[in-house]
Amino acid sequence: MNERVAVVGYKQTKHTFDSPVARERMIYELVKSLFKDLGITRDDIDTFIFASNDFTDGRTISEVYTVPRIGSFMKDETKVEADGLNAALYAYMRILSGLYETALVIGFSMAGSEFRVPLTQAYTLDPVYERPRGIINFYSTAALQASAYMKKYKFTDEDLARLTVKNLQNANNNPYAARKEPTISVEDVLNSKPLYLPIRQAHVSAYADGACAVILSSKKAAKKFTDTPVWIDGVGHSMDTYYIGDRDLLGMEHLSAAAKKAYKMAGIKNPKKEIDFAELHTNFASEEPVFAEAMGLFKPGSGKDVVKNGDSGIGGALPVNPSGGPLGANPINATGLIRLAEASEQLRKEAGKNQVKGAKTAVVHAQDGPGAQLNTVFVVRR
Amino acid sequence: MAQETRIIENTWDLTAYQWKIESDALDLFVKGLKDKKILGRKCPQCGTVYVPGPTYCRKCFRDIDQVVEVSQEGTLDAFTVNLADVKGTIVEHPYITCTVKLDGTHSFLMGVLEGWTDWRSIKEGMRVKAVWKDVTQGALADLSHFQLTEK
Ligand SMILES: [Zn+2]
Repeated sequence: MNERVAVVGYKQTKHTFDSPVARERMIYELVKSLFKDLGITRDDIDTFIFASNDFTDGRTISEVYTVPRIGSFMKDETKVEADGLNAALYAYMRILSGLYETALVIGFSMAGSEFRVPLTQAYTLDPVYERPRGIINFYSTAALQASAYMKKYKFTDEDLARLTVKNLQNANNNPYAARKEPTISVEDVLNSKPLYLPIRQAHVSAYADGACAVILSSKKAAKKFTDTPVWIDGVGHSMDTYYIGDRDLLGMEHLSAAAKKAYKMAGIKNPKKEIDFAELHTNFASEEPVFAEAMGLFKPGSGKDVVKNGDSGIGGALPVNPSGGPLGANPINATGLIRLAEASEQLRKEAGKNQVKGAKTAVVHAQDGPGAQLNTVFVVRR
Repeated sequence: MAQETRIIENTWDLTAYQWKIESDALDLFVKGLKDKKILGRKCPQCGTVYVPGPTYCRKCFRDIDQVVEVSQEGTLDAFTVNLADVKGTIVEHPYITCTVKLDGTHSFLMGVLEGWTDWRSIKEGMRVKAVWKDVTQGALADLSHFQLTEK
């Protein structure tokens, strides 16, 4: 049995809306350069775990062509049909078991150029009640949630626009982000294309082509990779019902449960005080206050004040998505794993212009399914 | 307790996807076929000759740029007599699918085997050669079949 697991290496691509290379080349170059940075070879990795999704990718065996491209030829290799942070959870458990000392986790997607995200996502909906009628999809589910939050807590379109601008400013300083809108104003967001009110185009995350690779290791093996490991001290995972009608979209009880589990494991009693920043997997800007509150980072319904006081900004009381989050780049399947890479970068003081000062403890989140049906939470420390 | 089942009809929009596939290996291979040559790539580190040849070695996890023209002769590795199609229907004209290892390569090419009269006399390890279509156009089908060169 291993007792502690660390993030010992990570790298993401510069995400784009139309990758000039195919995904197999993209991940090969990424992993090769990560190995080079760390001075290791594929022999130093015990198990390889993909995050890819046959449904959203539209091909059966969605890791087809990609297995040898991350160095896993003839090695222990498997796949998680969910976000990359779930693959990291899988890797974490494999290392804890003591059967493996090291794992490479990779998530990748061509969501920017190869498929129409809302259309393909719609095929993952309930085939009996939801899909045939065509009146619900991932966007409209988010809109229902946003509308419920905004009405209940008097969170205005302008508040939502300010939150969007905060994230896009962070994304603008993130070298990996695909979406660069340095001059976007609150007014611009308010006037952007209406899609499913209150959701407008500017609130939607930047579905992109990109990949992220993370190496996890046991405490024993960590020294081989780095002098500055980032420890995974708490994990939590929770799934709500498939049928959207059975869920409390606003309460997000399952996300609270996942967060509480991770905090308990990490010995965190007061997340508002003990967490220094959060990296959340938000597919829409409107999800940020809902998720942050469900995770106990802010008081329920405080979204309006948080925006007004700039509490979730980089210099704020509890920065949320200092990287810009998925509003800057959302290569589906890699997006939650990128949160882990971004948090690790912050904790190792490598985040450049987006650096959160004195950050020692972070919470990382990933979601899957419409309206964040499935949630994974990590607490990481340096 | 209800026992009924029912069919729910749904449609799928096939325009939802358009994929990019890395084409280095295929491009090199079909370019060779057009000139009635079989081209592959050789890893300078482990010496593996891949046909078709990717631009990286999966064993050494490194780039390979060394293009090699390989022999058009090789040995029969395995074969099967196709008596049925994928739907299970018995076919009128049975044919043989085989794998062939061309001399000096480490990949197997799949193709149709010809030059036999009784399949029971075919043995693994027999010598074969590539046979081309009269007119090649830079397509996988340019390599018509493999011909047994020994009885
Ligand atoms: Zn090699």
